[in-house]
Amino acid sequence: MKTDDLINALSRGVEPAERPRWRMNLAITLVAGLIVAGALVAIGLGVRPDIGTARMPIMMKSMFAALAAAVILPIAVQLMKPGRPLGWRIGAVVLFVGVCAVATITALMGEMPEQRWQAWMGGEGRAPWCVVLIPILAVPAAALLTWFMRAFAPTRITLTGAAIGALSGGVSAMAYAMYCPTDSVAFVTTWYTLAIAVCAALGALVGSRFLRW
Amino acid sequence: MADEAALKALFLKGLAGDEAATRAFLTDAAALLRAFFRARLRGRTEDAEDLVQETLVALHTRRESYDPNYPLTAWLYAIARYRLIDFLRRAKHRNHAPLDGVDVGEPDPDYEASDAKRDVATLLDKLPEKQRTAIRMVKLEEKSVKETAEATGLSESDIKISIHRGLKTLMRLMGQEQPT
Repeated sequence: MKTDDLINALSRGVEPAERPRWRMNLAITLVAGLIVAGALVAIGLGVRPDIGTARMPIMMKSMFAALAAAVILPIAVQLMKPGRPLGWRIGAVVLFVGVCAVATITALMGEMPEQRWQAWMGGEGRAPWCVVLIPILAVPAAALLTWFMRAFAPTRITLTGAAIGALSGGVSAMAYAMYCPTDSVAFVTTWYTLAIAVCAALGALVGSRFLRW
Repeated sequence: MADEAALKALFLKGLAGDEAATRAFLTDAAALLRAFFRARLRGRTEDAEDLVQETLVALHTRRESYDPNYPLTAWLYAIARYRLIDFLRRAKHRNHAPLDGVDVGEPDPDYEASDAKRDVATLLDKLPEKQRTAIRMVKLEEKSVKETAEATGLSESDIKISIHRGLKTLMRLMGQEQPT
């Protein structure tokens, strides 16, 4: 078939294009991802036993994770459609990571030198498991977001995979906060951020496989 | 050749359902794409034409992905670049001697290569029957949606959806096909 014939075929009887209602769909996708992650925490890990008295720190940690997701969101939205620059949106992520680094150092400086390591690692004999658990909990949200994204036309698919990974990591960290027993600032600003970065890296690795169109 | 403003005006009219504007936009876009792909696939004019056709279908089936706040050409070339990268990735998985770096001379500027290597019409046969019939009758045999609906016993919206899905499937097939 000649290109001119193809053009004729494509344009023949063309209809007005539909405007997809992406805001609503994206909101539903994110909320669904959060609910699934929350259910997985409740069933698989169990909420922390002192959830009654620990409302404040749980809220703070969830807010921190929500903030991280909010910083990633503009990038993910921008990547939905081809030919849109990222610009300041990348700067916002850099700024967020910078603020986290400063907060970590400031918080650790406030501790006694011999307790710094424990405060950073989450206390006696503990390890920052969130770096493993948050990416696992992020899988449902990432799958939903990939499905959402496939309805659009991402052309930078590795970057889009990273953005989906980071966004679902932020959502899953919001749910993970219900389980996470450690409340120190330096712990959260370091390991939650790193966990989300791991999600982004995994997303970049597998993204191009699932986002091709 | 059309500039950004003229091209955008045509495209937006096409989005609103204007057939002549859609045809004019796709024709201009084809010229831009042909230059773009030929410059990057030196001498491989048939591969370039395959990519032109593939990208035209992509532009058309994903036309609602254009954000009018940004230049139309940025959108067009972002999709063109994506199709090119996808093509090169596919080519890498095929086993034959690469032509990269082999200078086969400038493409003949008078050669009107709207003959692509692959034939889109034969790809149609691979579509599910409903999509194939809808595309064949409306897009190739110039029947109206209403006539097609009456002839097939399907509803008009069913025909429209089948065409839309069929074109998307077609683009995927164009991408999967292994041209030799």
